[in-house]
Amino acid sequence: MNIVVLVKQIPDPEALVAIGGDGVSLAIEPKFAMNVFDEFAIEEALRIKARHTGKVRVIALGSGKAIEVLRTGIAMGADEALLLEDEAFLDGDGYATAFVLSRAIAQEPFDIILCGRQAIDDDRGEVGQMVAQFLGLPHVGGIVKLDVTDGRAVAEVAVEGGQETVEVPLPALFTAQKGLNEPRVPLITGVMKAMKAQIARLTAADLGLAPAQAGRSGAKVKVVQYSLPKKKPAVQIISGEPREAAMEAVRILMDVEKVF
Amino acid sequence: MDFALTEEQEFFKKIITDTVDRLIVPKAREIDEKEEFPRELWREFTGLGYLGLRYPEEIGGMNADPVTAMIFYEQLARGSVGFAQSVIMNALMGTYFIYRFGTEEIKKRCLYPAMRGEKIATMCFTEDQSGSDLAATRTRAEKDGSDWVLNGTKMWITNGPIADIATVLATTDMAKGAKGLNFFLVEKGTPGFSPGQVLDKLGCRGTVTGELVFDNVRIPAENLLGTEVNKGVEYLSEILDEVRTMTGAMALGIAQAAYDEGLDYARKRVAFGKTIGSYQLIRAKFADMATEMEASRLMVYYAAWRIKEKLSCRKEAAMAKMFATETCLKVVDEVTRIWGANAFAHEYNPQRYFRDARFLLYGGGTHEIIKDFLGRMIIGKH
Repeated sequence: MNIVVLVKQIPDPEALVAIGGDGVSLAIEPKFAMNVFDEFAIEEALRIKARHTGKVRVIALGSGKAIEVLRTGIAMGADEALLLEDEAFLDGDGYATAFVLSRAIAQEPFDIILCGRQAIDDDRGEVGQMVAQFLGLPHVGGIVKLDVTDGRAVAEVAVEGGQETVEVPLPALFTAQKGLNEPRVPLITGVMKAMKAQIARLTAADLGLAPAQAGRSGAKVKVVQYSLPKKKPAVQIISGEPREAAMEAVRILMDVEKVF
Repeated sequence: MDFALTEEQEFFKKIITDTVDRLIVPKAREIDEKEEFPRELWREFTGLGYLGLRYPEEIGGMNADPVTAMIFYEQLARGSVGFAQSVIMNALMGTYFIYRFGTEEIKKRCLYPAMRGEKIATMCFTEDQSGSDLAATRTRAEKDGSDWVLNGTKMWITNGPIADIATVLATTDMAKGAKGLNFFLVEKGTPGFSPGQVLDKLGCRGTVTGELVFDNVRIPAENLLGTEVNKGVEYLSEILDEVRTMTGAMALGIAQAAYDEGLDYARKRVAFGKTIGSYQLIRAKFADMATEMEASRLMVYYAAWRIKEKLSCRKEAAMAKMFATETCLKVVDEVTRIWGANAFAHEYNPQRYFRDARFLLYGGGTHEIIKDFLGRMIIGKH
C-alpha cells in the first residue's frame, strides 16, 4: 500500500500577520507550524501502513523552510519526503499548487492520497479536490474514519446531524477532518532519523513544467486586496432600572441597528 | 562567528517545543496544584525516549551535543519546571556517573532502565549543613572488607523520596575535605537506605524533593563510581559546567513562559480605553525584558557551545547561570506587575512562574558563591 500525504507549512497560529503597504501582500512573522489537518492525514497514513504494510511518502510545496514539516512527517514515521522547491512554484493559488502536486504524485505508483481538508492559514480547502481532479481520482472530503480493504476504501464523513458512509475504489484521495485520529507525538528515534534524513527536492524543470504553468503565473485566482475586519464598536452600557433599560435596548436594536 | 543553530538543532527545537506544548503545558497547573509526582505524564513523556538524550546511540541514546541538550532543558522548563527538574535529574546528574563508571551489570540494572524512564534516578549532594560547601559533607563511606558502608542523611534531594537509584556523595575522611569525596551508587531496597521527610516547597511543586537516610548501608566495591578513591570532585568537574549552564537554560525557559503570557496580556487587556501594551511604561518593560532575555540566551548558548567545543567554560557557565537566573527573576516579577492583581490569583499562571523561578537561585550554586568564585577568578589570590 503506497500512501502519499500532502502537507503544508503554514504560519504559526500565534504569528503576527500584517497587511503589506501594497494591500496584496502579507507580512508574516517567521514562525511556522504544520497545518493541523495535515497531521491527521499523516497519522492516518501511518496507521494504514501499520495494518497493510507499504510506504508513506510525504510531499510539500514551499520554500526551504518547509523542510521542517517534511522532517516532522519522517519523525512521526513516514518513509520518504519530497520538497517541491522552485521560485516558480511560489505565490500560486490552489489550482496552481494542486497542478504541481499532482505532477509530483504521479511520478510514482500510489494507492491512497491523504491531505488535510483545508489549510488553516487561507482556509480555502480546495487543493485536495483539485489534485483528485487532475489525477482523475475519486475524492472524499472531510473524513473522520477510513477502512481500506482489497482495492476499496470505506470512509465516514460527518454531515449535518449525522454520519455518511461512502465507498470508493482505490486509488483515491481523502481529506482529513478533526476527529479522524489523534496524531502521535514523535519518538526520539524518529526525531533522530528525521534530523539526519536527506530530503529529496524537485524543481519545475524536474517535473517537466514550464514556469508559466506554476505559482503566480499558473494561478487562476489573484488576490486583489486584503483588508482588516471592521472594528467592533465599544460596548454600550445602558444604565437605569431593568425595565427601562430593556426598553431602551429594544429601541436601539429596532431603530438604530435595525435588526428587526 | 556563527550564532546560528544547525538545521538539525532547529528541527529538534521545533519538535521538542511542540512536544512540550502538547504533553506538558496543559498539565503544568495541575502538576503544581496537586504537588505530587505526575507518574502518568512521566510514563507518557519518558516513553518517547528523551531521557537518553545525552548518551550514545549504541546504548539507546541520542548522542545530543550540549547545545541540543540546552534546547531540551530550556523547553522543558518552559512547560513545567516541576516536571523539568525530575526529568533533567534523571537525564543528567542522576545517571551521569553510572554511565561514566558503572560496570556493564550496573548499567543493565540501573542506567538503561533509567534512560527508558522505568527507574527514577537522583544525585545526592546536599545535607542540612552543606550544599555549595561540598567539603563539609558529613555522609561517611567506610571500607569494610571489599564493601563500603554508608552513614549519613541527605537533604533537598530532587526525586529523592521516589528514587530507585541514587548517586550519593560521601567522604572517606572528613579531614581531607574536598579531597576525600566520592560518589557511590545506592539502589532502592538496599537495607538501611530509606526516604525521610518530604519538603513542602514554595515552587517546583511537581518535583518530589526531600530527605534520604543512609543507616549502615552496605554496598559492594563496584558501587564506588570512579576508577580511584577520593577523586569525586575531579569527576564532578566533568559535568559541573553543563549543570550550571543547564540551570541557566531552565531560567530562559521560565522567563520565556512568563514573558509570553505577559505579552499576550499586554496586547489584550484594556485600560482607559486602550490596550495596556500601548502605554509607554508597559512597552519599556518589554524592551528591557526582551533585551535581557536575549543577552541571557546568548550567554547560555555560548557556554553550551564552549562545552561542545571542549573549551574551558567554568567562568562562562557560572556567569550564564547567574545572569540568566537574575534575568528570569526580573521577568517573572515584571510579568506579575503587567498582569496586575490577576497575577496574585492562583487561577492564573504568573504567580506560578514567580514562585518556580526562586529555585534557580539555589540550584547550580547560589549567586553569593558564584560571585565569590568569579571575583576570585578575575582578581586572583592576594
